Amino acid sequence: MKKNKTLIFLFMAPTVICLLLMYVYPVVRTVIMSFFHVESLTASTSDWTFNGLANYFKIMHNAGFITSMKNFLAIWIVGGVFTLALSLLMAVILTSGIRFQGFFRAAIYLPNIVSAVALATMWVQYIFNFDYGLLNQLVTFLGFDKVRWLSTDAKLWSMIAAFIYGSIGYYMLIYISGIEGIPTDLYEAATIDGATKSTQFFRITLPLLKGIVKTTITFWTINAATFYLWSKLFSPVQTEGSTIVPVVYLYDTVFGGKGVVERDAGAGAAVGVVLTLIIIVVYVITEKLLKSSDLEY
Amino acid sequence: MKKILSTILALAMVLSLGAFALADDGAEITFWSMWNEGEPQANVIAEAAEAYEAETGVHVNIEWKGRDLNTLITAALEAKEDLDLFEDDFNRIGQVDAPYTYDLTEMAEAAGYADHSYPVFNDFSIKWAGYLNSIVEQPNVGGVFYDKDAFEAAGIEAEPATWEEFLDVCQKLSDAGIAPLAQDGAYTNFSFYYQLVRHLGEEGIAELRENGGWAESEGAVAAAQEIIDLVNAGYLAEGAPDEYPASQNKIGLGLAAMVVCADYVTAEVNANTGTEVNWGLFNYPAIDGGAAPTAAYMGANSLAIPAYSEHAQEAFDFAIFLTTGEWGQKLADDCHQIPADPTNECTSLPGAVETLLAADAPMTWCGELNTHPAWQTMKDMFTELFEGKYATGADFCAAMDALYE
Repeated sequence: MKKNKTLIFLFMAPTVICLLLMYVYPVVRTVIMSFFHVESLTASTSDWTFNGLANYFKIMHNAGFITSMKNFLAIWIVGGVFTLALSLLMAVILTSGIRFQGFFRAAIYLPNIVSAVALATMWVQYIFNFDYGLLNQLVTFLGFDKVRWLSTDAKLWSMIAAFIYGSIGYYMLIYISGIEGIPTDLYEAATIDGATKSTQFFRITLPLLKGIVKTTITFWTINAATFYLWSKLFSPVQTEGSTIVPVVYLYDTVFGGKGVVERDAGAGAAVGVVLTLIIIVVYVITEKLLKSSDLEY
Repeated sequence: MKKILSTILALAMVLSLGAFALADDGAEITFWSMWNEGEPQANVIAEAAEAYEAETGVHVNIEWKGRDLNTLITAALEAKEDLDLFEDDFNRIGQVDAPYTYDLTEMAEAAGYADHSYPVFNDFSIKWAGYLNSIVEQPNVGGVFYDKDAFEAAGIEAEPATWEEFLDVCQKLSDAGIAPLAQDGAYTNFSFYYQLVRHLGEEGIAELRENGGWAESEGAVAAAQEIIDLVNAGYLAEGAPDEYPASQNKIGLGLAAMVVCADYVTAEVNANTGTEVNWGLFNYPAIDGGAAPTAAYMGANSLAIPAYSEHAQEAFDFAIFLTTGEWGQKLADDCHQIPADPTNECTSLPGAVETLLAADAPMTWCGELNTHPAWQTMKDMFTELFEGKYATGADFCAAMDALYE
């Protein structure tokens, strides 16, 4: 059949135009904006003043941004290790043929169905509550003094713990889909050869899940870099140093905060570019370190 | 058949257009509100809009934007969105939105607005924007809000005016088995800022913000030490500084007596705990030899009109209709807020109108400090001060100075 190039172009045009307008244009504009002094996000380009790398130097020397990056690293590393390890463990257990696996899958995934706002509010106002919270009831039942779970020292870790709880189900499902794609005859052969369950996990499951692990690391990095809602709900009135993350810093920089009228869309754009670069770097490193398996199954 | 169908459709279209044209005989203003549908303020505004339309024939098209309006409004004004009236923090209207707002001076004079408003807010609006650019809808005042019944139970007859009297009140409340002071982490910066203002005044704090030198400032060291002593004396409610709004709610639950905040705390506590606390208010206690003994925080949510609005007069008239007289009183009563019109009565917080009218040294929200690059860290340190993390005021101030290195 003869190819009609015009027709192909016409069919592709709506998608290409939408992609250019809604994705490429904002990205390009944000990158360019990060090199200009721009007060308002919607300011006309004629009001932009070229600023070189000043916006980047400004945020790199800003204590708020540095704190937010430290918090981001804690969420990414600590939260990532626990979330991905626990979700992989759950996935392995739930694909091992235990009873009521359907129920457990649903129960572990449940927090992903509940609104994140409701979930975070439950953690802040009930589970971590000093007076009648679930954890302090447990602590006092065991004979210890009540703990201030949301003190400045503990707040970040409490927030990460709550976020892990809300995230495990999602990653568990990804791992389950990966594990279920591995042919069962590999495990049967290994069992006949005398391989234990742990040997099967480290020699069969894990190597064949490399691609899935890469995906989940990239997803987690994006989740951690765009972390916003939980931070806002753990510091509901004003941004706090203990829970500030880069996107919250970006938001406050672009729109101002309570009693803060200074706005800097250029610096906010620089934060956005830095976050994007982090995600790209993590993606590239993950690709290099975890080379996809050559195995076919 | 097709021709008949086409004729009927064309006729229907013409009649519809005609009907729209006939219905458009009165003006319509578009109002972007910061409230959400169903909130007490939204209910009153919606009722007032209906009453205004019945009286003037001007329809008010209200769009409930919620609290995120403050992130949308500047872009909307820059893009000349179709709106005639909007709500926001009067500070933002005065400083951020000023280039896009209508000069209300003449209309305000014609309406005698000066007699139905607080000079302090009008003065700020003019100072920031160069002209009157907002009409106050919900004024706020800061101070120490307390449960009068708790004071009575503890045998306290007079509101404390000085720090010593305040500590005496705390002790009496403590002796009566009532936790003196509720304190949520979200407002520790506000409480400590008040203490600092009493020692240094806002100008003194601006100097610290700019150049540091907290440890050399006797006032800063003393302010921090006083908070440490307050905490060590056990005057904070159990668990304080708690997670907002857990500690302030203790006033509604009868477990604490006082809280340092702005007046919206009264409505919040009443709503959260389902009670009607017998609220009282006194200004933050003065420090002997301090710099600003009478300064009090003043803030407001206000109404403004875009400079390009073609219905500015109608929008202004509605703003006055809503905030003064009958509807201003209803707004104050139903929303437990201070009336925007001082000729109305403040039923939720007696004395608040007089406090605002007498304001001679208004304080801003943490003044210049919240523009410091390390503000988020500072805020956490203020909370740590209330958590008892610092042994002395000097230790705290040394830690503050370290933020400038």
